[in-house]
Amino acid sequence: MPRLTVLVKGEFDRLNKYNLFSANFVVLLFWVLLSWFLEGEVLRTFLPVIFLMDSVMMTVLLVGATLFYEKKEHTINSIMISPVTENEYLLSKIIVNVLNSMITVLFISVAVYIIKGVTYNYLVLVPAVMIVTVVHTLIGIRFSYSAKDFTSLLVNFIVYAFLFLMPSVFAALGIISAEVARYLILLPPEASSILISAGFQDVELMKILFGYGYLAVLALLIYRYAVKPKFNEYLMKETGV
Amino acid sequence: MIKVKDLHFKYPRNESNTINGIDFEIKEGEIFGFLGPSGAGKSTTQKILMKLLREYKGEIEYRGKPLASYGDEFYQDIGVSFEMPISFSKLTALENLEFFKNLYKNTVDVEPLLKQVGLWDDRDKKAGEYSKGMKIRLNFVRALLNDPKFLCLDEPTNGIDPANARIMKDMIRDFRNKGGTVFLTSHIMSDMDELCDRVAFIADGKLREMDSPRNLKIKYGKRSVKVEYRENGELLTQEFSMAEIKTPVFCDLLRDKEIETLHSGETTLEEIFIKVTGVALRA
Ligand SMILES: Nc1ncnc2c1ncn2[C@@H]1O[C@H](COP(=O)(O)OP(=O)(O)O)[C@@H](O)[C@H]1O
Ligand SMILES: [Mg+2]
Repeated sequence: MPRLTVLVKGEFDRLNKYNLFSANFVVLLFWVLLSWFLEGEVLRTFLPVIFLMDSVMMTVLLVGATLFYEKKEHTINSIMISPVTENEYLLSKIIVNVLNSMITVLFISVAVYIIKGVTYNYLVLVPAVMIVTVVHTLIGIRFSYSAKDFTSLLVNFIVYAFLFLMPSVFAALGIISAEVARYLILLPPEASSILISAGFQDVELMKILFGYGYLAVLALLIYRYAVKPKFNEYLMKETGV
Repeated sequence: MIKVKDLHFKYPRNESNTINGIDFEIKEGEIFGFLGPSGAGKSTTQKILMKLLREYKGEIEYRGKPLASYGDEFYQDIGVSFEMPISFSKLTALENLEFFKNLYKNTVDVEPLLKQVGLWDDRDKKAGEYSKGMKIRLNFVRALLNDPKFLCLDEPTNGIDPANARIMKDMIRDFRNKGGTVFLTSHIMSDMDELCDRVAFIADGKLREMDSPRNLKIKYGKRSVKVEYRENGELLTQEFSMAEIKTPVFCDLLRDKEIETLHSGETTLEEIFIKVTGVALRA
């Protein structure tokens, strides 16, 4: 079995044993329950929010939780004195989270089809969820580097969400002019939101193309300059256990 | 196997060096030990040799090539156990070993190893439910999973009961006898005395002395014999230097008197350590 497969399989195994899967599943059930009470247009506006929340928030939290356990139990050191490379390790985190997001897409889509008969453009939704998850896995890893514990990771995430979502909320409320709002796509959550909403409504092709290009470049930059160079330092940082 | 020249290391957030210019060589097929008190720099040196701490100054060669020139394949032949026992607490011992095992090209059967360290019956227990001693033994098996050529063990017997410590020491010796090389650290003098072919004294990030335990004892030991004997119901002692035991005075004493005890003035490694470094092994 190739090492990357071993890492991915091991990660899933642990998500299961450490009850992170169950936690994730409870959230999914909650989304399904909410959808139950929504109808027509409201449901159609709400669904992209579910997928955005899952691929942004759940991704960051799940990455944070797994890294937190690995640090707490020092198992990351044990992995790093095996032939596993840093790239393989980081890539395995990305793959696991993308697969997880795919499970969410599948589960929610099947559920809302069964209970409400709602369908949407899955071929547009899936790649959008994938790239959003990749970017936010990397952001989650970067947050974990500087977080002392899981709580401080949460705080970091809330600050991030607040800073980057506020402008979009202001734009929606008309506080920010349409002129300025055009540039909000430069905020990662806004770009993510635009790409995911394309699965449910018409979005200008230019915006979609720009969104993919932008998030892809962003992922590479974060990986190259914010995640990779600090990995060894993070590995050696003693967290208070 | 490993050559270290003028090694210096400073943790980024510390003001002064933790390792202050050390030189040593670990030869193929030997057990080489670092003996020193807590905080001396033993674990730091281990992490440097394991490529985990990379910002060091000085030269380190592994099998004739700079350590830094090795990629992650370096770890195929290396077995490590850290000072702190490491495992996924919610996985069973066997699941832990299976996961790590799959990361290597060459591996060994874990059953005989687990039986040897007395964990086979508890193999399906979660590692988090293991006692400290059991975790340490599990980590020792983890270190041997990939059939390593070079074992790097940080305080392997610390926190483990004497019977299991004995088993582990025998396994370390077996490993050496089959051609393996071992670097081990400890602050427990007797373990080092028993196990090491050569031992280095480390204190404050410097090596103060390096030789076989036997040579160190000859060099620093008192080299004398103390005789306790009874004469007219009174207990008397007399000490002889190694030169004096060839003289008739010593032989006559042994022949004529009622000898109670006979001690060679061998000094323990611990005493030698204190003499050489001026530092006690245990604070
Ligand atoms: N991650 C770290 N950051 C800063 N200082 C450290 C770190 N780890 C160890 N030290 C310091 O380095 C010195 C040597 O530690 P260590 O190598 O663990 O000693 P030993 O293993 O001999 O007990 C100690 O003074 C310790 O406080
Ligand atoms: Mg130590």
